[in-house]
Amino acid sequence: MKREKLRAIREAVRASRGIPIALFWSSTFAGQLPIEQKGPKAAMTRVLVVDDHTVIRRGIQSILRAWPDWEIAGEAADGEEAIQLTRDVKPDIVLMDISMPRMGGLEATRAIRKVCPEVKILLLTLHDSLEWVEIALQAGARGYLLKSDTEGELVRALNVVAGNGIYVSPSLDADRVKKIIVDIGSTV
Amino acid sequence: MRILIADDHDVVRTGLRQLLLERRGWEVCGEAKTGREAVAMALQTKPDVVVMDIGMPELNGLEAARQIRKGLPNTEIVILSLHLSDELVYEIVQTGVRGYVLKSDANRDLVNAVEALGMHRTFFTAKVSEMMLDGFCNRKPRTGQDGVARDRLTSRQREIVQLLAEGKSSKEVAVVLNISVKTAETHRANIMRKLELHSVSELVRYAVKNQIIEV
Repeated sequence: MKREKLRAIREAVRASRGIPIALFWSSTFAGQLPIEQKGPKAAMTRVLVVDDHTVIRRGIQSILRAWPDWEIAGEAADGEEAIQLTRDVKPDIVLMDISMPRMGGLEATRAIRKVCPEVKILLLTLHDSLEWVEIALQAGARGYLLKSDTEGELVRALNVVAGNGIYVSPSLDADRVKKIIVDIGSTV
Repeated sequence: MRILIADDHDVVRTGLRQLLLERRGWEVCGEAKTGREAVAMALQTKPDVVVMDIGMPELNGLEAARQIRKGLPNTEIVILSLHLSDELVYEIVQTGVRGYVLKSDANRDLVNAVEALGMHRTFFTAKVSEMMLDGFCNRKPRTGQDGVARDRLTSRQREIVQLLAEGKSSKEVAVVLNISVKTAETHRANIMRKLELHSVSELVRYAVKNQIIEV
């Protein structure tokens, strides 16, 4: 792990005070830190919503509609649909469940990273375990949010991911999350 | 019609609210994040129907339903659950709940369920009705050791099992339930003796097996 990369992470973390555990770390993926990107976004950020439960898709839609920055690019009910729709509508962010029938969110994440590497993926799941976080980030997801997290946290996660950061739910052990991110960063 | 929503996930509550508010004349009179909040809000707002998730922290939906039915016999409850289980359906019906909808079917079924319950009719998701027809109504009373043990627990004891299984100490249980530490400890000892359990980890296993908590 390069020393400057470590320093960049530390600075980014410091700059994200108030967002307790959202970890901004982007030098490996984007070569750019989110702090340089502050200010209003030029266009709306387009989000593809993927969950097999209609009620959850509705909930997410309704939450995002209340904010001017977000636009729903489409909806999918499983991983296969998600890949297809990502190709078709080219969203900025795919907000996706992990456990779904036919194809789950992790497999879809790997596939989307291959066909549309510029699309960022934020996973929204019931699995509150660090093992899953590690697998998800290794698969190429940029964010990991729990369904038990608040509405505010959902918006925060989207903001971090849209700003090229890495986001992991504050409900998970921050120190261990940091370690996972640093470990993955050193192998990318 | 006045409806109370109880689910620990913001996203789900928002989705449910959207769905229910599409019907003219329907009003969401409260939103609870735990079973305990649901009981308190129900007693305060006296809704016509409560839409209740099963897996919630502190007090699960089933226990909350039991307490609400006890205090408000005119309030109907529709249980929302992620998975379908034979045991759960049995427990639910025993509790006096007359509606059961799977989360995956909520978009299609929930409005119909709430409407039926508002008229004090029943609504069970298609799969549940099939299960009932498959003979679960005619089955013999359960005999397994766990089933018997569970039946021996009082509602209060099941509440305490959930809190202990969630990792709370006797002192914390006392605070949550507004009882003395001594009483909480007595409850705990009684539960362990009744269930013939010897450690907290055994208690957790019991709670998971009997769907008092979800993992």
